[in-house]
Amino acid sequence: MRLLIVEDEPDLLSSLAQALREEGYAVDTAADGEEGFYKAESWNYDAIILDVMLPRLDGWGVLRKLRQTKNTPVLMLTARDQTRDRVRGLDTGADDYLIKPFDLSELLARVRALIRRSAGQTRNVIELGGIILDTAARLVSRHGVPVILTAREYALVEYLALHRGEVVSRTALYEHLFDEDDSTLSNLLDVHVSNIRKKLGPDFITTRRGHGYSIE
Amino acid sequence: MIFKSIRWRLQIWYGLILLTVLAGFGATAFHLQSERLWQRIDGELQRRANVLAGSLRGGNVRDRERERAAPERPPFEENDEPGIESPRGFGRPGNPRERLHRPPPELRLRPNQAALFDVEETNGFYFVVWMRDGNVLAQSSNAPAAISFPRRRDLHGPQPPHFREQSRETLLRTPPGEIVLVGRPVASEAAELHRGAMKLAGVGAVILILGLAGGWWLASRAIRPIHEISATTLKISAGDLSRRIDVQDTESELGQLASVLNATFARLENAFTQQQQFTSDAAHELRTPVSVMLTQTQTALNRDRSVTEYRETLEACQRSAQRMRRLIESLLELARLDAGQETMKRSRFDLAQIAADCIGQIKPLAESRRIRIEPDFAPAECNGDSERIAQVITNVLSNAVFYNRDNGEVRVRVRRDQNFAVIEVADNGTGIAPEHQANVFKRFYRADPARTASQGRSGLGLAISKAIIEAHGGAIELASEAGKGTVFTVRLPV
Repeated sequence: MRLLIVEDEPDLLSSLAQALREEGYAVDTAADGEEGFYKAESWNYDAIILDVMLPRLDGWGVLRKLRQTKNTPVLMLTARDQTRDRVRGLDTGADDYLIKPFDLSELLARVRALIRRSAGQTRNVIELGGIILDTAARLVSRHGVPVILTAREYALVEYLALHRGEVVSRTALYEHLFDEDDSTLSNLLDVHVSNIRKKLGPDFITTRRGHGYSIE
Repeated sequence: MIFKSIRWRLQIWYGLILLTVLAGFGATAFHLQSERLWQRIDGELQRRANVLAGSLRGGNVRDRERERAAPERPPFEENDEPGIESPRGFGRPGNPRERLHRPPPELRLRPNQAALFDVEETNGFYFVVWMRDGNVLAQSSNAPAAISFPRRRDLHGPQPPHFREQSRETLLRTPPGEIVLVGRPVASEAAELHRGAMKLAGVGAVILILGLAGGWWLASRAIRPIHEISATTLKISAGDLSRRIDVQDTESELGQLASVLNATFARLENAFTQQQQFTSDAAHELRTPVSVMLTQTQTALNRDRSVTEYRETLEACQRSAQRMRRLIESLLELARLDAGQETMKRSRFDLAQIAADCIGQIKPLAESRRIRIEPDFAPAECNGDSERIAQVITNVLSNAVFYNRDNGEVRVRVRRDQNFAVIEVADNGTGIAPEHQANVFKRFYRADPARTASQGRSGLGLAISKAIIEAHGGAIELASEAGKGTVFTVRLPV
């Protein structure tokens, strides 16, 4: 899952990015509204965390412009907790709302819910034959036995599981699993896929040569 | 206590006054009526007494002479007047010897005079005539038996009429010395008078009741607006400050009161809104550093970290805490300035000298952005708290540098203008849009809400500056043109 955080407070931005990366997300950051809008336009993020008070272009402006082209889920962060601000945010096209100061755990839960909803999933448990994904706990089990995956491996499994039945291209996987700072190696994806097959069974991920991967 | 209410007090006072007036009026009316009655009766009595006195014959020399000169009148009895009797053959000459020696007086009444004592027709007038020696000369048949010769004391001087039981009597002393008493029963008149008094009292009671009812109505009417005012005021104090008293009659005293109250409520609402805004802004300013600290610490605590990572987290927390401290200090300073508690240590100083010091402080920041600061100083001595003034100048200067463009210029001019020491700080930055110009001195106001948020600027600097300058009796104002720059002018009294 790849996220964009648009926040002008450097200390907040860095710790948010760190926390989300540690949750297995690929995280891009932007420190002002224009940069944020540019990045949001250029990539298909799984979710955007958008501060309202931003230099150059504020959160409302970013959201308004973004909604003309993209339906990326957006979580707004604001220090204003008045009802009219919340209403305005949701009406402008925000998918969720969080008031500063917030608890990190709540932010993480809201981001998970946002991504799950946008994939058409209502529960946080996905069953794939004998393999069960708990997206809240980020745990995978095979026939009731827990399987340890690395964060990147888990992210790959989760992304394919959320797009179950679809063929996901390598490009799309790169886009959603690696952030702007990762020096992507062309064979990194193949290494992850082969590791996952070792842990969850050789048929768990199907390779469509020339197209990408899928989970049936 | 219900009687403490204005309505009841008005009513009680009004009732007392009305009662006094009515009682006075009734007493006067009764007094006048009875006086008229007694005057009339006394007049009748007096007239009859005079008639009787004039009808006495003989008794002294003068009378005899007059009697001789006057033609002989027929004796009283011959007229067959009833009710008048004389114990000695009334009107008839007595013993000739005695008459020669001392002629006894006699009473002779003409018929029309006798009619004055007709029992049937004259309300029972009665009379008694005594001779000087106290013997009864003549008396009417209806004279009360209890009448006795008046005491000598009563016969000196003019005789006022007096009452005897249910009768009114008057005494007359003739020049020869006979005593004439005329009286009449006045029971019916007294009863009439009593009935009149009762009627007066009754009418008075009715008027009093009507008056009290009218007074109650008037008091209610007069007090109703007060009730409305207090009802509205009660609702206003219950939290809805936007309510106003409905003022219909602005000319009346209550209308004026309502207008004054409305004006007060408006000021109160304004102050309240400002207070709310201020609190909300202050809370808002605290939210960002608090969320930084929360996120930083929660992220750090999620798993074991290296010493470097912990250090970074702590440093971020420290920055946030310092930012909160600055904000709190600014808020407290502003509160003290608002309350007038911040004492200004006044002294004489040269504004140009202070400005030069401030430029020295701000220079590193300016140079980092290659902004030139150009001073143009003339000596301008003024009176005030030099530290506070330096604080203001530093604030204005740092704004001029901060909102300037790179490679920009800040001109600082100090001069004396009549009774003011003036400092102008002009930048050639982006300027302030007209819609923001009026607001930049407001607390927490930012033309660009996000631009300064991360720079540790509280949004209180210019508000504090304004408060300081105004505490000095000076003024701070700005002129700005978008794209050309902004000029802040501070004027301080010399």
